[in-house]
Amino acid sequence: MVRFTESTITFPYTRSLGPVVGAFMTALTEKRILGIRNGEQVICPPMEWDPSTGAELPRDLVEVGPAGTVDSWTWVPEPTEQHPLDRPFAFAFVRLDGASTPLLHAVDASSPDAMSDGMRVAPRWKGQRIGHLTDIACFVPGEEPQVDGDDLGPAAEPVQMMDYLARITYRNPVPPSSDLVVDASRQHRLVGFRCPGCGKTYVGGRGVCPIDSVEFGEEHLVELPHTGTITNHVVITPVQYPGQTETEPFARVFVLLDGSDAVLGYQPVIELPVEDVAVGVRVSAVWASPGEESDEGGGMGGAFGSLIGWMPNGEPPVDDPDLVNRIF
Amino acid sequence: MAPSTDIAVVGWATTPLVRRTDLSETQLLLRAITSALEPLGLTRSDVDFTCLGSCDYITGQAFSFVGNLDAIGAWPPKRDSHVEMDGAWALYEAWLRLQEGDIEIAVVTGSGRSSTGNPALIYPMEMDPYYLAPIGADPVTFAALQARAVIAAGIADERTMAEVAVRSRGEGDVDELLRGEYVREPLRRHDLPPITDGAAAMVLATGDRARQLVERPAYITGFDHRTECHNPAFRRLDDSPSTRIAAEAAGLGDAPVEVAELQAAFTHEELLLRSVLGLGDDVAVNPSGGALKANPIMASGLCRIGHAADHVFAGGTRALAHSTSGPCLQQNLICILEGRS
Repeated sequence: MVRFTESTITFPYTRSLGPVVGAFMTALTEKRILGIRNGEQVICPPMEWDPSTGAELPRDLVEVGPAGTVDSWTWVPEPTEQHPLDRPFAFAFVRLDGASTPLLHAVDASSPDAMSDGMRVAPRWKGQRIGHLTDIACFVPGEEPQVDGDDLGPAAEPVQMMDYLARITYRNPVPPSSDLVVDASRQHRLVGFRCPGCGKTYVGGRGVCPIDSVEFGEEHLVELPHTGTITNHVVITPVQYPGQTETEPFARVFVLLDGSDAVLGYQPVIELPVEDVAVGVRVSAVWASPGEESDEGGGMGGAFGSLIGWMPNGEPPVDDPDLVNRIF
Repeated sequence: MAPSTDIAVVGWATTPLVRRTDLSETQLLLRAITSALEPLGLTRSDVDFTCLGSCDYITGQAFSFVGNLDAIGAWPPKRDSHVEMDGAWALYEAWLRLQEGDIEIAVVTGSGRSSTGNPALIYPMEMDPYYLAPIGADPVTFAALQARAVIAAGIADERTMAEVAVRSRGEGDVDELLRGEYVREPLRRHDLPPITDGAAAMVLATGDRARQLVERPAYITGFDHRTECHNPAFRRLDDSPSTRIAAEAAGLGDAPVEVAELQAAFTHEELLLRSVLGLGDDVAVNPSGGALKANPIMASGLCRIGHAADHVFAGGTRALAHSTSGPCLQQNLICILEGRS
C-alpha cells in the first residue's frame, strides 16, 4: 500500500501593474471603470496592446459603465474558495456601457431563472477598495451601483502593485523506496540501492537509477557503513525567508561513505564549528534520540529518519585532492 | 511546411490511464518510455534526442522535469529538452530537431498526475493574473461560456453534445444524460472530461531508420500550431481561427483524411473543431474515445497523435491529430500523418 502525503504550497506574488492596468485598478478604488480605445472600439478590461495584433495602444483611457449588459453567462451552483461569492452565482460576460468587449465577473442573482442574456447589471463595490479586480465584489441586477458597508473612499496614491497569493494543496505518493530508507534509518541503519546495471549505489531514498532507468525495490538494498569522509561543503548564511528556522551561519556537507561509492548529500554537522568544516574531515553518523526523528525522505539531500547528522570521529583527515569532486 | 527529411512516428505507448495512480510521474514516464522502445528492439542508448512535456503547476514541484530525467537514462549526457506543454508540443520540437538531419531517433513524452491536486483550483491560477485569476475563473466556466456561443451559432445543441459523449465513451443513453443536472449550464457531467493520471511516450525515426524499425511508419507530412490571445473575453468563442490556420498550414486540404483525433475535452469542442476543420461524416472522429474517455493531463494531445499513428500502422492512408492548450481552445496544433505503399 503506497502512502500519500499532503502538502500546501503558497506562492505570494507581488505584481507590477504597468500604466494601463494600474490606471484601471486605481480607478476601481474611485468606483470608476476604465476601458481603452482601440480604433473605433473600447476594450474593457483595458490592455496595453491590441489583443488581436499585439500593436501597442495609445494610452487613451475612457470611463465605461458603471452599468452594463450581460452578453452571456453560466450558473455556478457550487462555488470554490477562489470564487468572488460563497453562494451560488452566475459568471457572466458583462459588456459595460460604452465598451466593445465584455468583462468576466460574478453576478449575484438568486437563481439561474433570474439570469438572461441582455439583462442589465451594475457593480456592487466593496466599501474598502485596494485597487484589485475584486474591488467590484460582484455585479447585481439593475442600473444602480451599490456599496457594501461603509465607503472608505479611494486609494491615497495611484495603485502600481498587486498582491496575488497562489495556494495549492497537493497529494503525492511517497515512493516505497523512500519509506524503505527512512524505516531503516529509524533502526539506526544506513541503506542504499545498488543498481544491477551500472553497479552504482544510490542513497537517500532515490528510487530509480538515472543511468539505467531501473526502478529499485527491496532486492536492491545494501547496508552501508556509518563512517565516512567530508568531500565538499557549503556554509550558508541564512536569509530570513518564511520557513527558515536557522539564524546563524551553518554548514551542509557531502559525506563519502567508507568502502562504497555512495555520497550522502547536504548533511548537517554536529559538534563541528563552521570554521573547522573542511574537505577530508572524518565523520560518523549521529542518530536521534527517540522522539526526535524526522519524517523527511532525504530525496533532495539532508538528514532523514533517525539520522540527524555527522560529527568528527577523531580519525586523522584524509588528504586526497579528488575528494572535492565527489558530490554524487 | 513539409519537412526536409522523412520523419515518422514508429511507435508509442501509454501507462494505464486511470483516475488515480500510486506511481510518481518519474515512474510513469519510466514505464511508458520502456514500453514504447522495447517492441522496436530499441534501448535508451539508441535515443539521440528527448523532449518531455509536463507542467510544474500540476506536479506541485519546481523543476519537476529535472527529476523526470531519471526516466530517460541521461548518461552519457543526452540531448534533451522540455516544454511546459502537452507532449504534442514536445513532439513538435523533436520534429524540428530531427530536420537538422544529424540524428535519427527521438523520444517524446507527455506526463501528468491530475489527481495530485484539484484541477478546479489549479487552472484558475494559470489564467491572466490581473483580470481572470483573482476571480477564480475556472476551466468549466470558460467551457460553458464557449458552449453557449457554439450553441447560439447553431454548431451544437445539448442533444448533439450528449451524442458526442455517448459515442466517445461507448456507454450511456442520450435521453437519460439530458435529464442530468447542469454543472455549468449548458454543460452537464457527461460534457466534461474525466480526471486522468498517466503518461505517454512516442518514438520518432528518420529516413531509412524508420523503415527498418517498422513496416509502415506514420510519416509526419504536416505540422503547425497557432495561438490566439489569452482572455476569452476578447475572442469569438464560436470559432477557432488558430485551428483553421494551423490545419491549412499543415496541408489538411491537400488530400482527404480517414481519421481525425481531436483533443476535445468538452463535448461542444469536438463539434466546433469538426465544423472549423470542415470534417464530413466520412471522417471517423475520435475512434479512440478521445479526451472524453481518458484525459491524461499533458499527455492527452500526444495520445491523439498516437492514435492517429495507429490508424496508419494498421494500413490507413492519412490521419489528422489535434491538440490544444489554454482556455476555450486558445492554442491549437495540427499534425498530419500518412502511410506510404
